[in-house]
Amino acid sequence: MNYLDCSFKINGNLKKISIIEDKTLIHVIRDELGLTGTKLGCGLEQCGSCAILIDGEKKLSCNLLAKDYQNCEITTIEGLENKDGLNNVQEAFREFNAAQCGYCTSGIIISITALFDKNKKPSSQEIQNALNGHLCRCGSHSVVLKAIDSLIEN
Amino acid sequence: MNQFNSGPSINTYNKLSHWFDFSNPGILKVYSGKIDIGQHISSTLALIASKITEIKYDQIEIIKLSTDISPNEGITASSLSVANSGSAIKAASITLKINFINYALENLEIKNEDILFENGVIKDKNSNKTISYWDFAKTDDFRKIIIPENFDENSIKKINYENNQKIELKTINDIVTGKYKYVHDINFPKMLHARIVRPPSYHCKLIKINEDFKKRLVENDITLFVKGSFVAILSQDEFLVTKFLEIAKKNIFWEEKQQLSNENVFNSLEKHEKESLLVKSGGEAFYEEIPEKKSFDDPKIKSLSTIFKKSYLMHGPIGPSASCAIYKDNKFTIFSHSQSIFALKYSISKFFDIDPNLVSLKFMPGSGCYGHNGADDVAFEASVIAKEYPDRHILLKWTREDEHSWEPYGSASLNKVFGAINDYGEVIYWSNEAYSDTYLSRPSDLELTNFTSYKFLTNNFAKTKSKPKTSAHMGIHRNLDPIYNFKETRLVKNLVHDLPLRTSALRTLGAFANVTASESFLNDLASIKNIDPFDIRINHLDDERAIDVLNNLKEKMEIFKLKDDSFRGIAFSRYKNSAAYCAVGVELNVTDDLEINLNHAWITVDAGEIAYEDGIKAQVEGGFIQAASWALYEEVIFDSKEIISKDWDSYKIIGFDNIPVFTTSVIDHRGFPYLGVGEVVAGPTGAAISNALCNALGQRIKILPFTKDNITKELLN
Repeated sequence: MNYLDCSFKINGNLKKISIIEDKTLIHVIRDELGLTGTKLGCGLEQCGSCAILIDGEKKLSCNLLAKDYQNCEITTIEGLENKDGLNNVQEAFREFNAAQCGYCTSGIIISITALFDKNKKPSSQEIQNALNGHLCRCGSHSVVLKAIDSLIEN
Repeated sequence: MNQFNSGPSINTYNKLSHWFDFSNPGILKVYSGKIDIGQHISSTLALIASKITEIKYDQIEIIKLSTDISPNEGITASSLSVANSGSAIKAASITLKINFINYALENLEIKNEDILFENGVIKDKNSNKTISYWDFAKTDDFRKIIIPENFDENSIKKINYENNQKIELKTINDIVTGKYKYVHDINFPKMLHARIVRPPSYHCKLIKINEDFKKRLVENDITLFVKGSFVAILSQDEFLVTKFLEIAKKNIFWEEKQQLSNENVFNSLEKHEKESLLVKSGGEAFYEEIPEKKSFDDPKIKSLSTIFKKSYLMHGPIGPSASCAIYKDNKFTIFSHSQSIFALKYSISKFFDIDPNLVSLKFMPGSGCYGHNGADDVAFEASVIAKEYPDRHILLKWTREDEHSWEPYGSASLNKVFGAINDYGEVIYWSNEAYSDTYLSRPSDLELTNFTSYKFLTNNFAKTKSKPKTSAHMGIHRNLDPIYNFKETRLVKNLVHDLPLRTSALRTLGAFANVTASESFLNDLASIKNIDPFDIRINHLDDERAIDVLNNLKEKMEIFKLKDDSFRGIAFSRYKNSAAYCAVGVELNVTDDLEINLNHAWITVDAGEIAYEDGIKAQVEGGFIQAASWALYEEVIFDSKEIISKDWDSYKIIGFDNIPVFTTSVIDHRGFPYLGVGEVVAGPTGAAISNALCNALGQRIKILPFTKDNITKELLN
């Protein structure tokens, strides 16, 4: 097994670690760095629960080769809080209790954060596009949509 | 209401110390035998305790279920969490408060009017002397108190509580920050990650493992575990074990002992050997002769018959099942998200033939749970592996393919419905024959074969026959008995054997199919006589609460104008004819390409006293969305060799793009028993969509899901 010395910029911190060269990014994030807020749901880029931000863009981390993302700014759910606490998307989800089991929630918050970082007044279609590919099985959709709508109103 | 019943849990656990722990000053810790499976039961229970004890919600913690310390309240299922645990905690809270006030009055030597009660502390207005719940909990008086099984009206009246409802869920802050820990996130030093190498289907015996592959495993410090035909690989590196799982599949060979089936499952449901039981009013099933179906020659009586079909459905949690187990000092400690933590303790101890006290189960959250999913299996499998590697934690996770292919599905089913309506619009005859595989194959100490890996561990691939359950509304015949006062009914439960797929409890058991069929068929009977869907229901109901729910739904729907090219449907059910009442309205449109868009959903629910209103709304809206997904999209596909629906592309579920606007109303019945709401909405949702679709197409579609293919086939028929 070949190992590779890598450095990752994650949630504002530089982390140097030696990894199996073809290790996927989600396993580096969860297993090597202990950031378990990013969830593995399918490993097939079908459910959205492993979403993270790479240079501000939403990406699904379950099949990405970690070594290819060494020079990028990686942000996980744990890195969204700012000096004032929760970011506005997290705050809206908290305010509306917008989760049931919560397994899909961090991926959805990541996607909506990426959307609102670029556009403070996204259209319904843009919101739908951002949510496309995020599966929720408990049926928290209606409350999640209310939380997102509150971000536009505010 | 004359009295409040404390519920079944108090029969066994009638001391305050069974429910409350006051050992930390200022904090009330509450025990419960129910677990958070996405329904936020811990927040609801804390709210119930807070409202009555007047201890602030933020100062109440619900202790995570552990078989070592928690009351055994059975399975977290059947919409009984609030009804059982909520009632018990309410009873314990009332008992605590009444006795505490009496104790304070006596010990402070003051009168009722001189007390100030705030956040669990009683203060004498005059002397400023105080006494708290935490002081009271140290006394013999506290220890001796027995929680009554019933409270009379006068006792209840003494307990005033605000029905405050605005709370922050106990878990929400951790969920939105990624700190909420699931069993998948457990990490112990030197922990081994495990994956199971599965064969293509249920009945496969292990034949050979390539020697070269075994060498590669050794070279990479990966352990191979083989017991019978049960194969797993283990490594301290989780990525490595997932990587070698794919390689393992190509290097392990199986002999197929029995195939699945190529036969259309609906044909199998009709043709295969079955046990038929007569279901009587009240919902119980009996081994009695089934009367012949009646026929009607009178021209004033119109009769109709239909066959409704429902495909196999899966639970499909977003996070696959997982469990962590360690075997140390001859004792198991197992972290699990099973609904059946206590049953699992006894099953696992039975398998290993050890004292149940040597098996400790601790609840850790998993992904959402909608019935008997893979959680029990994976905990059992983790314990089997842990036994072989003592003193090390084993974290076993199912893969997406495992979850999709190996979970116990909700059975495919048929409902043959026949009814007759007279000139006065009275339903004078109603026959409903339900055909299905079992909905109840949870493992237990008596049914270890219900663990999916049991047959692989023992190399015994003989099929076991399920036995029909007979108690009221249990399994296939849940909600088969219509709640309406039809003149005569003929209800038959058919447990069909030798069907291809593994099945067990999926949210509502048979009620989704039975209510969808019944409530669709009732509309069809009504339309023969041009009777309004609300009227046909209300005219056949005696229960005022049921009628109120329907009238409320009608009122709410009338507020909104029907959109162009859209169609509406309604349906109603009382879950198990004894739990919550729910009426559902749906407005949808159908595109030229036969896609169904849900525009608006109205839900009116009566769940007795409202324990937590937003919680009820979240449950019924979530239940609607899941049931709409079943109705519109879901079907487990398989062939004779394997399950085809291995991932989310081959098993489509609802997305954010087809979520209707909700108008959800909860009718409060203060002082009435709590009635759970986890399942009540599913049946009426299926039927309301079916009825709206029937209005849109001018024809009843009788096969679920309502996909383009199924609709096209039905229209061509």
